[in-house]
Amino acid sequence: MKRRDFLKQTTFASGMFFVPQFLKAFEQMPNKTFSNKKVVIIQLKGGNDGLNTVVPFNNDIYYQQRNNIALKQNDLFKISDEVGLHKSLKPLQNLYNKGFVSIINNVGYPNPNLSHFRATDIWQTASDSNEFLQNGWVGRYLDHTKGNPFSAIEVDESLSLMMKGKTQNGLAITDPKMFYNSMKAPFFNNVVTNYNDAHLSEHNLGYLYNTMIDAKSSAKYIFEKSKTKTSPAEYPKNIFAKQLKTISQFINSGLETQVFYAGLSGFDTHANQTNSQAKLLKTYAESMEVFVEDLQKNNTFEDVLILTFSEFGRRVKQNESKGTDHGTANNVFVMGKNLKKQGLYNDLPNLGDLDKNGNLKYEIDFREIYATILDKWLQVDDVAILNKSFSKLNFV
Amino acid sequence: MKSTHIQHLYNRIGFGISPKELSRLSKKTKKRIINELFSSSKTTTPLKVDISFLDGKTYKDLKKERKEFQKISRKKVKEFSTAWFDRLNNPKEILREKMTLFWANHFVCESRNILFVDSYNNMLRKNALGDFRTFTKKVSKEAAMLGYLNNKQNKKKSPNENFARELMELFTLGQDQYTEKDIKESARAFTGYNHKFRGEFNFREKHHDENEKTFLGKSGNFNGDDIIDIIIEKKQCARFISEKIYSYFVNENINKKHIDEMVSVFYIDYDIENLMRFVLLSKWFYADENIGTKIKSPIEFLVGMNTIVPYKIEKTKQIFWVQKMLGQVLLNPPNVAGWKTGRNWIDSNTIVTRLRLPSVLLNNAEIAYSEKGDEETMITNFKKRKLSRRSIIKVTADWKYFEENYKNNSNKELIYHVITSKINKGTAEMLARNEKLSKHDFVVQLMSLPEYQLC
Repeated sequence: MKRRDFLKQTTFASGMFFVPQFLKAFEQMPNKTFSNKKVVIIQLKGGNDGLNTVVPFNNDIYYQQRNNIALKQNDLFKISDEVGLHKSLKPLQNLYNKGFVSIINNVGYPNPNLSHFRATDIWQTASDSNEFLQNGWVGRYLDHTKGNPFSAIEVDESLSLMMKGKTQNGLAITDPKMFYNSMKAPFFNNVVTNYNDAHLSEHNLGYLYNTMIDAKSSAKYIFEKSKTKTSPAEYPKNIFAKQLKTISQFINSGLETQVFYAGLSGFDTHANQTNSQAKLLKTYAESMEVFVEDLQKNNTFEDVLILTFSEFGRRVKQNESKGTDHGTANNVFVMGKNLKKQGLYNDLPNLGDLDKNGNLKYEIDFREIYATILDKWLQVDDVAILNKSFSKLNFV
Repeated sequence: MKSTHIQHLYNRIGFGISPKELSRLSKKTKKRIINELFSSSKTTTPLKVDISFLDGKTYKDLKKERKEFQKISRKKVKEFSTAWFDRLNNPKEILREKMTLFWANHFVCESRNILFVDSYNNMLRKNALGDFRTFTKKVSKEAAMLGYLNNKQNKKKSPNENFARELMELFTLGQDQYTEKDIKESARAFTGYNHKFRGEFNFREKHHDENEKTFLGKSGNFNGDDIIDIIIEKKQCARFISEKIYSYFVNENINKKHIDEMVSVFYIDYDIENLMRFVLLSKWFYADENIGTKIKSPIEFLVGMNTIVPYKIEKTKQIFWVQKMLGQVLLNPPNVAGWKTGRNWIDSNTIVTRLRLPSVLLNNAEIAYSEKGDEETMITNFKKRKLSRRSIIKVTADWKYFEENYKNNSNKELIYHVITSKINKGTAEMLARNEKLSKHDFVVQLMSLPEYQLC
C-alpha cells in the first residue's frame, strides 16, 4: 500500500542522534509537585443567573423585579429560612447536607465588564477589568511550578486562555487513547526530533514545533497512566457528564495533573430563561452528584476541590422577553470534603443596593478565591501567580 | 512581480496559487496584477441553496408547521455551509470571497433560519468591498442579526442592550471607547427594529423610543442609522477596522505607522476597496517579516490544500467533522467575538489534527473524532448527540490535476511552491533526504509539516 510505503520510507530518517536538549530535559524531568491537591474548575458558560440559582424567597424586591420568572417556594429546596436553591440542584442536596458545599455570594470585581468574552477573559486571566493579560492564571501557575502541559488539563478539544502561560501551556484533551494513537506515526517522530532551530522559538514556527513536542510527550504519559483505570460509575449521558467522567478517570488513576477545567454552555438566557436554565442546572447537578460519588468511592475526594463559576451573573430586573440581561456579581460554588466553612459562606446580595445599571455590587473579589486556593490548597506563592496580593478567605 | 511576492499576495487574499497562474502573473507588474485582482471581484455571485420548500408559504402556514419548518431549515443551513465551503474551494471572485470570510469573523452572526442565513451571508459578500458605513447599517437591519443579538426584543418599554454593546465593542470602535451610558442611550435608538417573517426589515414605530438621546457627546432623537453615523465620524472607527484588516491580511503584530497610513486612507470615505488597494499596493505588505509568518485559519488550511491537490470530502457530515476538529465550522462561530485567530488556532489537539489531515484526506488514513459540547444554543437536544465516533473520511482526490500542474517541478522546487515560511534546519535536512520519494508522497509530507501551517 502506498501509505505504508510512505511511512516506511520516512522512518529511516529517524532523528536518533538529534534529540534537542530541551526535549531531553522535558522527558527526564520528574514532575515537581508542590502538593498533591487537585482543583477542578467548572465554568457555567454564558453567565448563569445566580439569583435564580440561590434564591432569597422572602425578598419582596426579588418578586417585584422578576414578576414572570421569579421562583416560588415550591420551585426550590430550602437551605435556610431565607434561602432556597433551584430545585434542579436537588441532586446536590445530599452533598450539601454533608457539608461538602460552600456557596460564596456576591463574587465579582471592580468596574465589571458585561461582555461575555471580556468577562471570561478577566476571570480566566485574573486581570483587573481595564487590564489585558495574554496568559491565564492557571497557565501562570504552570509557569511558576515549572509544570508539564499535563499538569493542567482542559477536557475539551481546544485550549482556553486560562490554561495558557507565558512559557507553558496546559493541554486540551477529550480522549486519551485517541490522542495517543493519533501521534504514533513515525513521521511525527521525525518532525519532532528534527526540530533544532532554537532561534525560531520566538516565532510562530517555534510555537508550532513546541506545541507538537508538548503534545507528543504528554499524550504518551496520560494514555499509559490512565488506561489502567476505567470508571464503573454510571454517569448521565451528556457531554458535560462525559467531561467529568474523564476527569475522574484521570484523578483516580493517579495522574499528576493538578488542575482540571471543564464547562457547560448555554446559560446566556436573554429570552425565555425558565426552562432552559432549569434544564442546564439539572444537567450540572446530576453530573456533579455522580462525579463526587465516584471520587469518594476511590478515596480521592479529600484531595479534590471543585470550583464552579460563571463569567457574570444577570441583571436583577428581568427583561421584556422573560429573560435576563448581562449582570455582574454572582455566586461561586466550592465543593470539597473538608471545607472550613460549609453552606452559605456569606449573606446573599442586597437587592436594595444596586449599581447605576441596576446590577449587584460585589463584595468578594474573585481573585481572593484564586489566592486562597493557590495559597492554602495548592500551597504556592499566590502573589507571584496573580501579580498582586489579595486577602484570603477561609473556606479551605 | 517577484514570484514569492505573488505567492504571498495570493496566500493572503486567496488560498494559494497554481504554478500555471503563478508563471502567467510573474510577467506582469504589481499594479497590473492588483488591478486584475480587483476587477475580477467587481461582480458578486450570490451563494444559493434550493429553498423551494418555502414557495408560496405564508406566515400562517409556517406557524402551523413550525417544527417541520425548523427541521428543514436547520438542514438547509448545513447545506448552505457546505455550499460556502465549495465556493471557497472554487471561487470566481477570489478577493471578494476572502473578504467575505474576513467579514464573517467581524460582523459575527449565527442563525438557524435558512432565509436569514442566506440573506446575511450574501449581504456580507455584496458589501465586502463596499462602503463600511452602508455595510454596518445593513448589518443592523438583517433578520439574522436582529435575532442573534436580541435587537428585535429591544423595545421602548424595556430596552435590550445586547446589539448596541457589540456594535461598538466588536463591530466599530473596540473596547473602552464609550461608556455604559452610551450603550444604554444607543440601545434606545435601536428600539423598534424588527423583521417580517421572510426576513425583510420592519421598523415598528410604536416600540421605538422617540425621546432625545445623548450619545458620544451628541444629543437628538436619534434612530439606529444616526447612531452608526455618529460612530463612523470617530476616527477610532477607521482605526479599529484598519487594525483588524491589518492583523488578518498583513501581520498580527500591529505596526502603528502602517495603521496610521491606513487610517488616513480609510477615514476619507470608509471605502473598503480603496483601503484594500492601498494595503496590497504598499511596500510593507511584501516585507519579509510578513511573508510566511501568519498561522493559517482552519479554512485557509483546508482550502489551501485543495489549491494544490483538489479533493472532495464525499459525505457532507464529514466536512463538518473536519472543520470542527480544526476549530472552525463555517456559519457556526463560537460567540459574537468570533474565532480567536493566530496562535489561538493551535493547541496540542489542533496541531496534531493538522499534521495528520493531509494523509487522512489524500491517502485515506483513519482518524478518530469526538464531539464536545460548546454550542451555546444546543441546549435542548445535546443529550441525544453521540459522544464519540471513529471514521475513515471518504475523499476523492484529483491527483491527475496535481501531476499535470506540477509536472515541470522537481520535488525540490515543490518545497517552495507549497511552503512560504522559513524551514527549520533539521526539517530541511529531512526533506533533502526524502527528495527521492514520489512526488505524490513528497507533497503529502510537505503538507504534514509545521511549516505548512504558515502562510
